[in-house]
Amino acid sequence: MSETNGHQEKKRLTNPPKTIEFRVSRREKLGAAQYTETFEIPYRKSLNVISALIEIRKNPVTKEGKQTTPPVWSMSCLEQVCGTCTMVINGRVRQSCSALIDDLLLASGGNKITLEPMSKFPNVRDLQVDRTKMFDHLKQVHAWVELDGTHSLGPGPTMTQEVQQERYAYSRCMTCGCCLEACPQYHDDNYIGPQAIAQAKLFNMHPTGKADIDARLEGLVGDDGITNCGNAQNCVQVCPMSIPLTRAIYETNRDVTINALFGWLRK
Amino acid sequence: MAIKISKTFLMRKLHQITGIVPLGTFYFVHLFTNSKSMSGDQVFNDSVADIHHIPYLLFVEIGGIFLPLLFHSIYGIFISAEARNNVSNYGYGRNWFYVFQRVTGIFLFFFLIFHLANLRFGLIPGLESYGNPVAGNADRAFAIVAAEFKNIWILIFYILGVTATAWHLAYGFFLFAVDWGIVIGEKAQRYALYGSVGLSILLSIVGINAAVAFIEPCGLLPRAFCEQVEKNEIVKPQKF
Repeated sequence: MSETNGHQEKKRLTNPPKTIEFRVSRREKLGAAQYTETFEIPYRKSLNVISALIEIRKNPVTKEGKQTTPPVWSMSCLEQVCGTCTMVINGRVRQSCSALIDDLLLASGGNKITLEPMSKFPNVRDLQVDRTKMFDHLKQVHAWVELDGTHSLGPGPTMTQEVQQERYAYSRCMTCGCCLEACPQYHDDNYIGPQAIAQAKLFNMHPTGKADIDARLEGLVGDDGITNCGNAQNCVQVCPMSIPLTRAIYETNRDVTINALFGWLRK
Repeated sequence: MAIKISKTFLMRKLHQITGIVPLGTFYFVHLFTNSKSMSGDQVFNDSVADIHHIPYLLFVEIGGIFLPLLFHSIYGIFISAEARNNVSNYGYGRNWFYVFQRVTGIFLFFFLIFHLANLRFGLIPGLESYGNPVAGNADRAFAIVAAEFKNIWILIFYILGVTATAWHLAYGFFLFAVDWGIVIGEKAQRYALYGSVGLSILLSIVGINAAVAFIEPCGLLPRAFCEQVEKNEIVKPQKF
């Protein structure tokens, strides 16, 4: 047994600053100009980005003393399972609920934190974005299992333990948008992205869902399809749910090569 | 149900396969010929003359080299223009490789225009090859290149070109393997990546050595390494 008993002591912020400075991206409405406002709040223990934003909202006065509107952002579960509060924090995309201020200050070494909305989605207001595109992508790849009848057909086919485990990994996707934000290929909705490809894989692995594999692959060989992947593999690095996104992409590449590219050889 | 394939999908697949099959094959043949410079002007010039005697040469050159190269480079520039590089915020190794592939590609576009204008067509005034390209002048091939490489800047430019090509092709093999669903798993990809990096280093060294051999016999290797083995006397068949 190791000396630490398996427990790894986390690095703690031993000498916190008196105040924390937030540089928040602001935008009044869709299409309006973007600008930055700086807010300063006193440091206290155990803050995360959302609780700091709530602190700012209580008294929306900038560092320069200007009265302003409270910053707007989205949030829901506050435990990194809904994906709604995703934003770009100090240049990196992640969920703001699980972004602890102490960790951010430790990593940056200063007292400044930058908050921006995700850049690849329509910016509705301040830190809020519209992720409808991702749901459109799910429709495009037929990311569901067809209902096989209105009456009971008895138990469905069994899944091996191995398939269950792999599908579980893909099923954790919360459609947060981190993978698309970090993808150097994705912009202006030119590429369907890792999220939809992983969901297509999830349902292609389902014993009943297999029946619609062609419909799913067809959704992936369009002009915005899987070939637009540039193999930078940022998606798998930033995924907060540790979904094997690149595995889904390469497995699907094989399916696409066999079924779409060389499909005509079976005619 | 048949799967309907989009134009972009076909173009991407064509871009990947042209880089590997015609251009990759041509690259190895080219490197093989270049490396004959190690054995001196006679051997090199003979091998240039051999190329002139390839059957259907015009069709091989246009269909096997120029057309794939034109398509691969122009479509490659379109692909590069799509990139929104973000290595400053996401500085992962693979993200850097993503950038390198595009940077080397664009560099090679300009390098190859120069290289073709220079040694294939002899269109660049002031250079030894002007009006007198290597292609078509097999008897002077070695002398033309050797004279050009006396200019250190041209030699450096060629060494950069050779290195960029080696990286672009070796990593291109890796990209082909993952994009066509051949190498899938994380561990398999890691080994394939080591292989690619190793191959790119090897090809760079071979390419640089071939270039240096135009100004220094046998290039970076000791001369004894390149000396021709004495031909044995031809044994005449005995009469019985």
